Amino acid sequence: MKTRTKKRTGAMLLALMFTLLAGCGSGNNANTAANSANATNAPEASAAADTTAGAKKVTLTMMVSGTKAPDGQDFALDIMPKLVKEKFPNVTLETSKLPDEQYFTSIRTKLASGQGPDIFWVFPRNASLGVLDMAKAGYAADLSDLTFWDKISQGAKDDMSYEGKPYGIAGGLDYLGVYYNQELFKQAGITEMPQDWTSFLEACQKLKDAGITPISVADKDPWFLQFGMYQIAANVVYPDEMDFDSKLQAGEKSLTDPKWVDTISKMKELYDKGYVVKNSLGLGSAQAAQLFVDGKAGMIFDGTWDYATLTAKGAADFTRGFFSLPANEAGQPTYVSAATAAGFALNAKSENLDIAKEVMNYLFDGQSDLFKAWTESNNSISVYSGVPLNHDLFKEVNDSYLNNGKSVYFPNQMWPTGVAEEMEANFAEIIGGRKTTPEQVTQAMDKKFKELWKN
Amino acid sequence: MKSTVMKKTMYFFAVPALLFYLTFWIFPITKLFQYSVTDYNGYAQSFNYIGFDNYKDLFSGGTLGNSISNTLIYTVVSVVAGNLIGLGLALLLNMKIRGKGFYRSISYIPTLFSAIVVGFIWSYVYMPDSGMIATFLDKLGIPNDNLNFLGSYSTALYSIIFVEIWKNVGTTMIIFLAGLQTVPNDLLEAGRIDGCGGWKLLRYVKLPLLATSITINTTLSLINGLKAFDFPFIMTNGGPGTSTNTLIYSIYKMAFTEQMFGKASALGIISFVLIIAVTAVSVLLMNRKEVSA
Repeated sequence: MKTRTKKRTGAMLLALMFTLLAGCGSGNNANTAANSANATNAPEASAAADTTAGAKKVTLTMMVSGTKAPDGQDFALDIMPKLVKEKFPNVTLETSKLPDEQYFTSIRTKLASGQGPDIFWVFPRNASLGVLDMAKAGYAADLSDLTFWDKISQGAKDDMSYEGKPYGIAGGLDYLGVYYNQELFKQAGITEMPQDWTSFLEACQKLKDAGITPISVADKDPWFLQFGMYQIAANVVYPDEMDFDSKLQAGEKSLTDPKWVDTISKMKELYDKGYVVKNSLGLGSAQAAQLFVDGKAGMIFDGTWDYATLTAKGAADFTRGFFSLPANEAGQPTYVSAATAAGFALNAKSENLDIAKEVMNYLFDGQSDLFKAWTESNNSISVYSGVPLNHDLFKEVNDSYLNNGKSVYFPNQMWPTGVAEEMEANFAEIIGGRKTTPEQVTQAMDKKFKELWKN
Repeated sequence: MKSTVMKKTMYFFAVPALLFYLTFWIFPITKLFQYSVTDYNGYAQSFNYIGFDNYKDLFSGGTLGNSISNTLIYTVVSVVAGNLIGLGLALLLNMKIRGKGFYRSISYIPTLFSAIVVGFIWSYVYMPDSGMIATFLDKLGIPNDNLNFLGSYSTALYSIIFVEIWKNVGTTMIIFLAGLQTVPNDLLEAGRIDGCGGWKLLRYVKLPLLATSITINTTLSLINGLKAFDFPFIMTNGGPGTSTNTLIYSIYKMAFTEQMFGKASALGIISFVLIIAVTAVSVLLMNRKEVSA
């Protein structure tokens, strides 16, 4: 009898506990639901909140990559939410901005777990988090029905398309180039801008002889290497074979091609001859930029997106210039390294897709305050018809791009993610004085490409 | 059978905890095994089963060998040096010196910082030209043009191991210090009467009695070393080249930058097996040497 009572008590306790737990569980669920409503805006939650206003209250979420504007108002974080609210009083836009690496990791996780933001940032073609991957996986929405496509340049639209339909809105066009210090160039006696590889090397030698570090490179951040490498490739690999990467993807060409070996060798030459700042493997991107801004290095390889950083005031005052790295042979034209910049994509699985599209239509209508704020804050060259060039510094390169059309995209946009990293890791061995040869670097790249390329 | 300790019904109270454990710990691990035989890329929900290709790739590629050897160097150096320094500190701070508490706190402070903070501080200490070490050498008039701790192949790995030791030596020291308090005074006195000097007391009395602490410390730093990720991630990005790629860092890179979750899972399983094997062997070996006072 006694034991039976005990047993019963035990069972009852157990039952009670489960009830409690269940309570807990559902409580938690409710909480998570509320949270995710905050984060991804399940419309039920927002709709329920709304009783008075005619229009349904909606919260849109947006996630972009990059660093916050150093001074004043950041477009994505401050300006856009405010202006969207003015135009659409029922829409609240919640935005966040993460540095590239963190953005890549967190956006993939969010998308894969169904918690993706309504508006997010994608990269052209095959780049990391490229539009092709996102469209194929069904995360990015087909944007064909947006109203402003006739205002966006065809090339930029194509770079953000999958099977002929646009899935992303390019933020602009980016150039890779060489920022240089005009005073230091004069000081070293460089009177004519280099037009080909030989004269570029001569210019470096003159700077070096004058006791000036010719080139600042941040090899502690491996990706920095690409800024120089792709400009060389644009002039070595592609000029007489613009479809090199299509052949590569089809298996007709390989990255061990002599032209890639030549590209790597040219980069190596800059290190071998002591034109690159010493101990570059210990310099991060901020430090390398600082060397240039402080007038301690004559040049830095970088892109249009780093305009603000590289024109910031440093220890020395000087005039900046910008040119395309002339890795071409004498007598040949210099190709510009130009590629479509990252831009907006909409979440195909979002319940608020239609509203997000309206916001995009408003953002790119060509006349609204929001559009003006966007063009002002954007460092990339605009691909929207009628918007003037934002920085005079890029005029020369931009003219050459527009007039003779000799340009090549960044090769990694045609590679699966991982190949560029392999190139960086192996080239670092050359910088670090290991006995790695350019041939070995291309072999490693090719091996990685073959491992990752699936089509 | 009737237990005198606990009613059988009470076992049911373990169910909730067990459920949590199964869902949040065991289930994800089994998922890892599943992913390791697929070509899952981390975000697309469709993937194919490709058998043991991931493992074959890993064993034929260079990444596995390189990261295992880096990890082992990292582990061995940090275990040996970390424990010797920790023991030395503990012995010093166990002596009757003035301000003992102050010194003990000082040596424990690095442990309190997060690895991120420590990594950033040391990146600046190591920086060429304007870093702390370079500036210090400048002041002394010693040329330091080629000083590039984190950027040179021969020193990068050891430089980050040093930081690991610097950060963890406090914990090691505290455990040894606690162990030293348990050495009974009468044993030490007996030793002195029998004519032991300082070294003999340490070697034949203190050390054998510290065996438990040694086991704990070695195991802790062993696991710490085998799991090394934070410092390569913060200070070198695995570079220059792949010279500071540890196992866990390689897994991270493979999964998140190369988008090969499948292969990364396979590497995860290999390191899981490796860590268990190394830890088990060392614990078994050390358990035999333990004595009690």
